[in-house]
Amino acid sequence: MKIKRRDFLKITAATGAVATVGLPKLNAFAQSGAEKAAAGSAGEWVPSTCQGCTAWCPTEFLVQDGRITKVRGNQLSKANGGYVCPRGHMMIQQTYDPDRVKVPMKRTNPAKGRGIDPKFVPITWDEALDTIADRMMELRKANEPHKFMYMRGRYSPTSTDIAYGTVAKIFGSPHSYSHSAICAEAEKMGSGYTQGFFGYRDYDLAKTKCLVVWGCDPLSSNRQVPNAIAKFSDILDRGTVIAVDPRMSTTVAKAHDWLPIKPGEDGALAAAIAHVLLTEGMWSKEFVGDFKDGKNLFKAGASVDEAAFVEKQTHGVVKWWNLELKDKTPAWAAKKTLIPEDQIIKTARSMGKAGSACAVWMGPGVAMNPRGTYASMAVYALNGILGSIETEGGVFQSSSAPTEKFPGFDNYVDEIAKKSGKEKKLDGRGAKDMPAILGGIDKVKEKDGTVKESLKVGVVTNNVANGMLKNPDAVKVFIGSWCNFNFSCTGAERWDKAMAKVPFFVHLTTNASEMSQFADIVLPATFAPTEKLSIITNMANLHGHMSIQQSVAKPLWKVKSEETEFVWLLAEKLKARGFANLIDYFATEFKDPETGKTPTNAAEFEEIAAKITSQKVWNGKEKMKGDQISGWAEFRKKGIYNSETYKYKKNWGKENPETKKFEGHFKTETKKFEFYSETLKKALKMHADKHKTTIDDVLKVSGYEAQGELAFVPHYESPKRHGSEKEYPFTFIDYKSRLNREGRSANTTWYQEFKKVDVGDDAWDDVVKINPADGKKLGIKTGDTVRLTSTTGSIVAKAKLWEGVRPGTVAKCFGQGHWAYGKVAAKDYAKALPRGGNNNELMPDDYDRLSGSTARNGGFTGVKIEKI
Amino acid sequence: MPKQYGMVIDLQRCVGCGACALACKTENNTQNRANGQTFNWADFIYREEGKFPKVSYTAIPVLCNHCSDAPCVKACPVNPKAMFKTADGITMHNDDRCLGCRRCQKACPYSSTDVTRDGAAYSVISASDAREGVHPFYRDTTELIPGCTTSGAETAGKAGGLPPHHHHYDHPDYRSVRNKGLTEKCIFCEHRVKKGELPNCVVACPAKARIFGDLNDAASEPAKLLKAHKAMRLKVEKKTRPNVAYIRSFRGEKKI
Repeated sequence: MKIKRRDFLKITAATGAVATVGLPKLNAFAQSGAEKAAAGSAGEWVPSTCQGCTAWCPTEFLVQDGRITKVRGNQLSKANGGYVCPRGHMMIQQTYDPDRVKVPMKRTNPAKGRGIDPKFVPITWDEALDTIADRMMELRKANEPHKFMYMRGRYSPTSTDIAYGTVAKIFGSPHSYSHSAICAEAEKMGSGYTQGFFGYRDYDLAKTKCLVVWGCDPLSSNRQVPNAIAKFSDILDRGTVIAVDPRMSTTVAKAHDWLPIKPGEDGALAAAIAHVLLTEGMWSKEFVGDFKDGKNLFKAGASVDEAAFVEKQTHGVVKWWNLELKDKTPAWAAKKTLIPEDQIIKTARSMGKAGSACAVWMGPGVAMNPRGTYASMAVYALNGILGSIETEGGVFQSSSAPTEKFPGFDNYVDEIAKKSGKEKKLDGRGAKDMPAILGGIDKVKEKDGTVKESLKVGVVTNNVANGMLKNPDAVKVFIGSWCNFNFSCTGAERWDKAMAKVPFFVHLTTNASEMSQFADIVLPATFAPTEKLSIITNMANLHGHMSIQQSVAKPLWKVKSEETEFVWLLAEKLKARGFANLIDYFATEFKDPETGKTPTNAAEFEEIAAKITSQKVWNGKEKMKGDQISGWAEFRKKGIYNSETYKYKKNWGKENPETKKFEGHFKTETKKFEFYSETLKKALKMHADKHKTTIDDVLKVSGYEAQGELAFVPHYESPKRHGSEKEYPFTFIDYKSRLNREGRSANTTWYQEFKKVDVGDDAWDDVVKINPADGKKLGIKTGDTVRLTSTTGSIVAKAKLWEGVRPGTVAKCFGQGHWAYGKVAAKDYAKALPRGGNNNELMPDDYDRLSGSTARNGGFTGVKIEKI
Repeated sequence: MPKQYGMVIDLQRCVGCGACALACKTENNTQNRANGQTFNWADFIYREEGKFPKVSYTAIPVLCNHCSDAPCVKACPVNPKAMFKTADGITMHNDDRCLGCRRCQKACPYSSTDVTRDGAAYSVISASDAREGVHPFYRDTTELIPGCTTSGAETAGKAGGLPPHHHHYDHPDYRSVRNKGLTEKCIFCEHRVKKGELPNCVVACPAKARIFGDLNDAASEPAKLLKAHKAMRLKVEKKTRPNVAYIRSFRGEKKI
């Protein structure tokens, strides 16, 4: 039967058996409104930068008639090869999120708490800024400017020096806190206290022969997703990929071998692998050195004479062996890790065979736990044994692009600010039981040639809530930007309690998030990747980059850049009330590098700040080693500067032929790669001295097991667990979604629709993965609703029986469980009902106290499961 | 020999990240899932096998197979057909001739007329509701916080598109945003292909796992891959002769 269009009316009756959606209409008569938009331009690709994870990929947006329509990686980028991961595409739905805050709003219900409607009403920017400035000036008048606090979530690495670095200091408060320590910072301890590099590592994936992915899933998250995705398959063809993870991730699913380690036992596995590499003579002779007579004296259980071994680029391999490794046999580790002995040996041999082309890619799963510093060091030190530091196929320190600092502001800090700025911080950093020595030792050369040494102490973000609860009077005016600690911090309920007590909270945000529910004023922030002018620097694939972030199309709402425009406008309001220091600093010291002009308004300030930080790469004063860019206009058009390629063995030392002295470049005390960390020893000593106590005491009160010399080498510490195995029989595994844009994408329908791309997850749902054997014991089936309870909290999720987790453990992806943010993210925004459950309401707040990092991994949370 | 456009998906390169499916949604402005219709022209199915710790997991990206013997074409009742094969072997859909009768959807072995009812993991062909306008998400006027947050409709209005990110293109057979009451599916981005560009899912794949070209040209990349590897195709027993083929396995095959 053939049917022509004009026969349409006849056929509808005849096709009764065919399902139709509603009543079919001949669409010639059913033109939609969208059709009229029709003939537009083909569009233009405009560069900007994604900040959906910590990779900060240079990107481009296709803009047609002022609409943002598509996303791709910046075609000139060496970090991502011109590609974005799935996160990139979601920037479009975030920009056009129907639940965005479009105007400033203020709270009209004074009662604060989770589930209490703030009864927000719209106000003007002017009213909002007036109110904030009034509240701040009250603090100055009462001589208590230190009761002001600024906290940031995601930020621009260059304009951060304005909001985060300047406002509180000039105003007179010590309370500026960054989000940094809640994510992965304990990783830095591994490379920091061995190699002197307190940063995130890079990899030469194009040449890697053996890739050991440990405690992370680089195909989904962890700092260079598009680059890892692009090169992974070739590594599978070229060599060996081994995954160490307690749950099946994408990397696990693709790897040649999987070591499903018992959560928190990473230090044991690392020690055993090191043991095998040494006993079987598979260490790098070029990097580590060798026994004087060439005979391997590393025998299980036997101490070795330090004098028998001559090291090259490293320090303390024999000490490490004697103190820790000699007894850490694969048989011992098998009992701890539940990885069979033969698999441990096989893994070590695969690694040893690839030698310096074996990269151990360590992630937060190893490090972000209550004793994580030492596991982090142990896993990272394997790179040292293999000699894969800065080698073909190996592991690298980060590359960078040259930024210019903003002018100093010392002259604008008045007497009140100087005095009150010295008040005690709220996050407990530097306390005897919270060393937070995340940056190692700072060395400043004085004029007289002496070197002044001090500890670089880092933020303890999640402890701020505890500080606020202990001292509810400490903060009276709190401004937070692009942060949502009530959702993103473990022990989330503490933030609900702490925030309910803050007298005046201002939240700069794109969406009415969980934290916004406690705000007195909510200000519509730019969605940074598509609306904010700023400069972003990062690295991947052996290149550093500087990329622009800019308004790629005219923003639809009354948004302001939280770190620049808002700060300028606030500074103007403070001046009108008699405090001019902030605006004077910005309006006097910030000069356009091209014209010398100073800013006269917020928009000019934002652009001048961006030009100041980026100028080195385009002003032509100094020839750049990477891309050549002729001016600001060209930089803005290209959107990126790529640095030169990282040179192999850049920091390896050499013997100076004249002095016969070894001259190394690693930033450790010995300038070598330290298996015995003289750097950590010194840092701990400085911290202990400050508290007039011993290192052993510091370690004990900070919750570590090691005493004596063991504290200075990478070593095994048993996992700490909240909740007894009897009462909380399951060990909880938390990990990140490949669609999480740092907790900000769950209100997009694309996030929900494709949630299933997280291995084992379901679209539009939040599942807890339980081994089928455990499900059988508990009488739980896939699809059942279950309650998970820890010592501190309880959440509800959907059960999924799944073979990708070990019996006795349960895995759940972090990302769902929003009870605010918008109508897609939350099950019912008005009733504050979550879609799924937030892992952070289950996991208690605990810390790797040496680094100040928040614990998320390592099996530190015991849970029980009930069917409801 | 006439062209036969097709795609080879290298499962070893694929990481199942979802970028292809999202890039398709941005390219073709497909709407949100509703009424048992996915509107995902590119989607995924998964295969999980084995017991802990010997488990295997495979993500299989799915899209229209552009079959050589396409049941959807046979089933299309209008003349000339709304669902038809182009000279280059693409299974094409003409919006203007489509009645929305959904016979194509019923006939396609890779489609379901209601994925919710059928418990289907995906459907190549989706059908838009004939009563409700397309993209209801961006027609909704509800404000979460009245006067303070925006709405779908306000966003779309201000952005000047429905959806607000409407990516506009022209093609004689189909529109960049289709009218209500029609069936729709992957058309291999013919609006791009005819300009010498690759389908958007191909250019957006960070793993370069999707290889598109003329399967009848022995020198094309996909033809070479099909020669070098044993290929898998979905539901071959249905004898539709799919032109989307899968090579290699999701897990690295080498034994250590």
